[in-house]
Amino acid sequence: MDSEDDMMDANDVESVDDDFYSGEMDADCYSDDYGDYDDDVDEDDDDDSGPDYDFMAEAADDSDVVAARSQLSYTVLKEEDIRQRQEDDITKVSTVLSIPREAACILLRRYNWSVSKVHDEWFADEEAVRKSVGLLDGPVVRFSDAELVCGICFDTLPRDRIASAACGHPFCKQCWSGYISTTINDGPGCLTLKCPDPSCQAAVGQDMVNALTSSEDREKYARYLRRSYIEDNRKTKWCPAPGCEYAVDFVAGGGNFDVACLCSYSFCWNCTEEAHRPVDCGTVEKWILKNSAESENMNWILANSKPCPKCKRPIEKNQGCMHMTCTPPCKFEFCWLCLGAWSDHGERTGGFYACNRYEAAKQEGVYDEAERRREMAKNSLEKYTHYYERWASNQSSRQKALSDLHQMQTVHLEKLSDIHCTPESQLKFITEAWLQIVECRRVLKWTYAYGYYLPEHEQAKRQFFEYLQGEAESGLERLHQCAEKELQQFLTAEGPSKEFDDFRTKLAGLTSVTKNYFENLVRALENGLADVDSHAACSKGTSAKVTGICKARATKGKGNGKSGGSSRNGDD
Amino acid sequence: MTSSSAPSRKALSKIACNRLQKELAEWQLNPPSGFKHRVTDNLQKWVIDVIGAPGTLYANETYQLQVEFPEHYPMEAPQVIFVPPAPMHPHIYSNGHICLDILYDSWSPAMTVSSICISILSMLSSATVKQRPADNDRYVKNCHGRSPKETRWWFHDDKV
Ligand SMILES: [Zn+2]
Ligand SMILES: [Zn+2]
Ligand SMILES: [Zn+2]
Ligand SMILES: [Zn+2]
Ligand SMILES: [Zn+2]
Ligand SMILES: [Zn+2]
Repeated sequence: MDSEDDMMDANDVESVDDDFYSGEMDADCYSDDYGDYDDDVDEDDDDDSGPDYDFMAEAADDSDVVAARSQLSYTVLKEEDIRQRQEDDITKVSTVLSIPREAACILLRRYNWSVSKVHDEWFADEEAVRKSVGLLDGPVVRFSDAELVCGICFDTLPRDRIASAACGHPFCKQCWSGYISTTINDGPGCLTLKCPDPSCQAAVGQDMVNALTSSEDREKYARYLRRSYIEDNRKTKWCPAPGCEYAVDFVAGGGNFDVACLCSYSFCWNCTEEAHRPVDCGTVEKWILKNSAESENMNWILANSKPCPKCKRPIEKNQGCMHMTCTPPCKFEFCWLCLGAWSDHGERTGGFYACNRYEAAKQEGVYDEAERRREMAKNSLEKYTHYYERWASNQSSRQKALSDLHQMQTVHLEKLSDIHCTPESQLKFITEAWLQIVECRRVLKWTYAYGYYLPEHEQAKRQFFEYLQGEAESGLERLHQCAEKELQQFLTAEGPSKEFDDFRTKLAGLTSVTKNYFENLVRALENGLADVDSHAACSKGTSAKVTGICKARATKGKGNGKSGGSSRNGDD
Repeated sequence: MTSSSAPSRKALSKIACNRLQKELAEWQLNPPSGFKHRVTDNLQKWVIDVIGAPGTLYANETYQLQVEFPEHYPMEAPQVIFVPPAPMHPHIYSNGHICLDILYDSWSPAMTVSSICISILSMLSSATVKQRPADNDRYVKNCHGRSPKETRWWFHDDKV
């Protein structure tokens, strides 16, 4: 990471960029118009235009399309929206089929809330559809008596205390209430409520529920109905954030499943894990499985600890030295290699690194296999640990940034607004910076899962990937530092100052640059780094290597809109 | 006596009492054939003799059903078991539990003890072989003393 001295003068916007990604940028680029942004990863820094030669520019060309697409691909629904949509759908079906609303509701639920499916099925075979959901054309039993026997309590009651579904089977209102209430309390099965008569399939709809039960039961039923509207509908899902009651309506297409709920949680609509671009759902699943796998712990134990030969507690080896001392109260001193007492070792036996007892045992074939397995487990574990640690630290960094963002919104903005005589609406650049940090930490985190699964033999890709990731790390670090540390002085300032305006320019600039870099990074990784010419020699230094890659891309810049065969899943 | 009789069942509600009295009266007037209610003064627990139907595997055999009613009968299903020794049947476990959907998920408050009895007799009558369910030992072992209403039943197919 650069030192403070390397940080540019806040006024000198160009230097932000020069230092940052060694590209060129004009002050007016800090608008959303990042299409102009040209990131020159070539360290010669002489090639100052031409969208055809670098990793950034090509992607920037279609960024408008991408933006438009991501705006259209989903809608977040609040409780009121859900209610409204459901009502609208019911109205549509009810109008088109000329049936009561509760019947339309039963049909919609049956066909997963697809209006067109209901229409199709109904007009194809109305009778079969009616039968399958218990919508009768007319009563199956008729009574003309003034009094009827309730089929549940067997009491004989005047007609006005009796109610029936379309079938006409008579039950008293009190028994209906108990029946419906019991079913509602049994769960969402109440949405397919039928007449209590065992031989009867007549559906009991929401109208009867509303007419015959308590307000508490009515509300429960309505909740199940709303839940069904989201859960049984193939186009909608609940936001998985704990406590969030919004749902997301997703329109397929575009290949990007990331969804940002109004509660600020971002998730993947496809797998409902936390948003994970640039890695795909399969990789996320593998990675999560990997993280929770018991076997990994076993490997850890296998590679780093052995039971103390005396007290049998696991002893972890954290130094190169083979002379182990068990933790108190045992304190047994032994040799890591042969697990023999250390008192048997020493000059006589050849010292710790050449424990002849170990050598002897190895010759006898006693420790050989066990030791070899430990060695193998250790190597694979080291790789995993490397990626996991960085994945996890970006995760916690993101959590921290989220709480800082919250602190900013609830406390600091108001304070800054006071001190610097600036309306809070003019301080949006700070919130935007923090939102960007949160987003970047998320992306960066997943690049470590990406890196873990990038096949070892794809050397050029690995190197280019690590270069991009390194740039991303340091760029984000710079933004994070500016938003966190440099902001501090303005929170304790006496009053408005010119420096604050400079700070605004700088932070907004860093936010924009970082945003662009990460968006392009995500696209490049999603593309499977397809632009890396695997034949490019990668034995040179970083800058030479990157130049080589840029050149390689220049040759295929025209038209050849390839999308990456994702070779990155080849590894376990 | 089976250990699965519910330990501290709540007393019947007023609605349940009324309904059971009507059922009992109807039963005495018009008992389902093949069944005999053993008269006790306990309205909440009925013991019923089942006589195997002539011409079936259970002809001339007598078994005992025990029917216990919950507080909110008939909204909730009664607990129905055979008092061991239970008939050898592919849907009846040796502890007396019966795998029959109307006793659990498919219960409806419009059903009665009498309609349950008829279903059980028809289940017995359609048997072609006298044997226990395949998972009898495992099930009975795991049950120890619990009511069949606590079992998550996965109903055997209708072909006995
Ligand atoms: Zn009916
Ligand atoms: Zn009634
Ligand atoms: Zn949400
Ligand atoms: Zn996913
Ligand atoms: Zn020890
Ligand atoms: Zn040794």
